[in-house]
Amino acid sequence: MIQDLVITLVYIGYAMGMLLTFGAILTWVERKQAALMSDRIGANRAYVRLPFTEVKIVWMGLFHGMADGLKLLLKEDFRPNTFDRFAYNLAVWLAFVPVLLVFAVVPFGGTLDPGQLIPPLAGWFEGRTYSMQIAPIDAGLLVVFAFAGISIIGAMLAGWASDNKFSLLGALRAGSQLLSYEVVLALTVLGLILIYGHVDLRAIVEWQSGTVLGFLPAWGIVVQPFAAILFLTASIAENKRMPFDLPDAESELITGYITEYSAMQQGMFMLGEFIEIAIIGALFTTLFLGGYNLPWLTDAGFLLPGGELIALPHALVVVLQLLTFLAKMALVCSFQILVRWSLPRFRWDQLLRFAWTWLLPLALLNLAVTALAVWAIG
Amino acid sequence: MSLVDILIGFFTVSAIGGGVVMLLARHPMRVALALIATMLSLAGVYALVGLHAVAVFQVFIYVGAVMVFMVYVIMLLDIGDRRALHRYGRVLWPAIAAGGVLVLVLGHLGWRAGASLPPASAGNEGTFLVQPFSAAFLANWWLAFELASVVLLVAVLGAIAVIQGSRRHDG
Repeated sequence: MIQDLVITLVYIGYAMGMLLTFGAILTWVERKQAALMSDRIGANRAYVRLPFTEVKIVWMGLFHGMADGLKLLLKEDFRPNTFDRFAYNLAVWLAFVPVLLVFAVVPFGGTLDPGQLIPPLAGWFEGRTYSMQIAPIDAGLLVVFAFAGISIIGAMLAGWASDNKFSLLGALRAGSQLLSYEVVLALTVLGLILIYGHVDLRAIVEWQSGTVLGFLPAWGIVVQPFAAILFLTASIAENKRMPFDLPDAESELITGYITEYSAMQQGMFMLGEFIEIAIIGALFTTLFLGGYNLPWLTDAGFLLPGGELIALPHALVVVLQLLTFLAKMALVCSFQILVRWSLPRFRWDQLLRFAWTWLLPLALLNLAVTALAVWAIG
Repeated sequence: MSLVDILIGFFTVSAIGGGVVMLLARHPMRVALALIATMLSLAGVYALVGLHAVAVFQVFIYVGAVMVFMVYVIMLLDIGDRRALHRYGRVLWPAIAAGGVLVLVLGHLGWRAGASLPPASAGNEGTFLVQPFSAAFLANWWLAFELASVVLLVAVLGAIAVIQGSRRHDG
């Protein structure tokens, strides 16, 4: 039993480290990619000077994230004289923690055999194997939605407890926007569940390791391309980012429900938003891009179409699967940032109308067509 | 005592604590937050005894849908409404007495049944995984479920009637 605990703790450490790193690096990616897209040089001012020399390490502006973090940590922490200080402080955590919790059910690799990986410990692990997933729960996808619902409460509580009209407006917008787009998100995912026949994310990833038409990988994006577009749209709206950033629109609501938060409390909201980009990347990868699957890569090695097996050592397979997942995740993150710097903001009524009169019927249509197709194919 | 037992104990205490705070708190938002804490803790207990489907729906439906709407409505209530701070008034002591009787009866029943109850994990191993649960739910229990929703509707109507009645009383 203690072995299981050790492995789970290692997984949790990996997930936390990976997500926080993603969150920190994405702040830099957002600036650098924006600069690339608008043909600027971009974030390149922050540097570390080696002591007693004139050597400045710029590293393409990677230190900007560190400068941000330091600034947020050291800034004076202004707090409004609100009527409910408890709710005001709680809101930050209610918005931040569920985002991290979602990752608990996402499988980020295949099967891990710790005994084979670290031979000296083989005796202690007694040949146990673990799937690379913090919580292998059969209700995986439902857990994702359950936790996503909690973070809505965080945003609304923040706006309410700030005792500021801009914040309240932001919270109002956040509540209605998140609820509307969560309906779309759930209906989109139902089509996938019909095809995969599972809500367990590991079973979903394993389903996608096959092929369709003999050569295409059976990834969600191949069997449900339309759902992929809907899912990505609705999840960007769930993350309250451009073009759906009405709840914290800087120019009209002074960042909405975050207005009254300063220093690291504001930083938590921002970091939560960036981590959510990574989480959306992870979910999209799991649901539509085959998760940790590299074409033809199995737990034993590369199984080529001809039936030929190129055996690989276990450690290499594990690293390959981890890297595949991270690479796909990074790609989806980068695409989200591409969207953020390409599209202008919706107007508020357009945003809600878009959800209820466009995305919702399209999601229902997708579901109906999928149901018919699944029924016809049998 | 295993880790699971400790966690079950922790979630049980926190569920009861949330319930007590829910009864004692004055402000509607505090009440809602305490209720959310209770529901999340209950979900933790369900998950730990292997009832995954129930645990997920507890969070998904009650916290993710019902309580989100509650918080949304409370957020829009007049913040300056001081009526929320009023004392409980005349019903406080009868309510405490009735609550005490309820706890005694439940405790007595639990005490008597405790010996004959099967352990939580025996027999229902796998029944509450998502797939068997949903299959059984849609095959056997859909009518009961729909009837329960009618009961909820009646409860909503009753709540509206109570509010209307008290408004008329206020003049």
